[in-house]
Amino acid sequence: MVSKFIFLLLALPMLCIAQVDTTKNQPIDEDFSQYDSYNYVDQAAKRYCTSKVLDLSPQKLISIGYDFQGGYDLTTDTLFNPNSTQYESKNGPGFGSIQFSHGLRLAVNIPVISNTAIIVQMGANYAEQRYKFNALNTSAPNDLITTLKENGLRTTGLNTLIFKPFNEKHFLLFQASADLSGDYGFNSINLKYLRSAVAAIWGWKKNDRKMIGFGLSRTYRVGEMNYIPVFLLNYTAPNRKNGCEILFPARAHYRRTFSARSLALFGYELEGQSYHLGSRSSSPALQDLELRRGELRIRAVYERSISSFLWLSAQAGFRYNYSFDADRLPNGKEFFRGFFGTQPYAMQNTLGNTFYFLLGINLVSP
Amino acid sequence: MKNRINLILLLTLLFTSSFAFAQQADDLIGVWEPSNGKVRVKIEKLGTKYFGRIVWLKAPIDSVTNKPKVDKNNPDEALRNVPIKGFRLLKDFSFKSEGEWTEGTIYDPENGSTYSCTIKMKNKNTLDIRGYIGISAFGRTDVWKRLEIKKQ
Repeated sequence: MVSKFIFLLLALPMLCIAQVDTTKNQPIDEDFSQYDSYNYVDQAAKRYCTSKVLDLSPQKLISIGYDFQGGYDLTTDTLFNPNSTQYESKNGPGFGSIQFSHGLRLAVNIPVISNTAIIVQMGANYAEQRYKFNALNTSAPNDLITTLKENGLRTTGLNTLIFKPFNEKHFLLFQASADLSGDYGFNSINLKYLRSAVAAIWGWKKNDRKMIGFGLSRTYRVGEMNYIPVFLLNYTAPNRKNGCEILFPARAHYRRTFSARSLALFGYELEGQSYHLGSRSSSPALQDLELRRGELRIRAVYERSISSFLWLSAQAGFRYNYSFDADRLPNGKEFFRGFFGTQPYAMQNTLGNTFYFLLGINLVSP
Repeated sequence: MKNRINLILLLTLLFTSSFAFAQQADDLIGVWEPSNGKVRVKIEKLGTKYFGRIVWLKAPIDSVTNKPKVDKNNPDEALRNVPIKGFRLLKDFSFKSEGEWTEGTIYDPENGSTYSCTIKMKNKNTLDIRGYIGISAFGRTDVWKRLEIKKQ
């Protein structure tokens, strides 16, 4: 009897719980003007600007993509053996007709700290470029063509991004990356392939629709190491349909917003890296050779949410070659040429231009 | 007689502990403002769970339509005319332990997305509200401050 009484006593509150339909937002008859008179009990939270403007294309936490470039030709310079003054006929000027090149792209960006006062994000990325050659002219072989054909190029890296707002207007954006780039296999990685890039931007958040910034970067985007000033502008027009996303000179896009879940971008991106060659070849001519790959991608991008935070990204455009030349690193050490340096290239190669597309699926950030 | 005393003691213990539990849980009830100061949210208890409605907007008029803001980014087209003022953006929070409410969701009218959400009370007038996707690592924390009506 007593146990039944206790059971009923405990069960009573459960029976009294009102059934709440949490899915509905019914109109509520309430005088909202009373909330004008509310004030902080102690003090307001310190206000900081956020890292985004309204309708900015979503930031990707995890992305998986596939990049495809259509056919083009590669004409290579003579490749000299640095240990010999003798010309090697097997490394004379080469020619390869590339049927297509393609590769996977993976990236993960995890916000280690993410609050109103600071965002610290750590990431990892992988990108590869595999080359499918048509039948090669065996009378004009070249070790550069051979390693591209057999090994392709890949980049595996870590990166960090820090967004530090100081108040509602000013912020500092810091980005750094360390990438292993080359023709290596995963069993032949060493620090010869390590290349680092860094950028710092001081910015102003003018309002919810506009942020600008100026800074400096050390980058490999055009293939070889360079120091260049950068300009940031993220803007959304008052009609919330048009805008731009610019990080000049790396990329610049006009943005057209169709809804909160779909948008298109039109513009360009500079993409490149310096690839250390020779890890999987016994050719002395490839040792300490650094392939400076830089390309301009003029493109249209369409992004839309396919399910909650999963977004599809499809981009297509024209890939214009900026650089596919190669340097011989003196004593294996990187050097700075910049836009005005006169150091000669070890190889001056010509890469044809072509169309490309990149399809990806992304988990996007809140 | 001894059994009756034990029963009374047991019931008293149950009653007082559940009262204290409810007191802590109900600390969440009130009017709060996110760090951006754009809205004020009234958190209330419905049944055993906690919900939050937008009761004040810094900019209540849509600059494009010149009408009161509606939930125009809602993924469900049928709900895009629901007024933002009065909108329930915090839903289904349960009191987990001292100063923590979990299992709820938060809705962002700016993009029509709903996120998993946990609320932690740093002190009686400050909340850390973390919205996230799937796992807490993929999220962002905001600071909300308690408001009360101005004393004359």
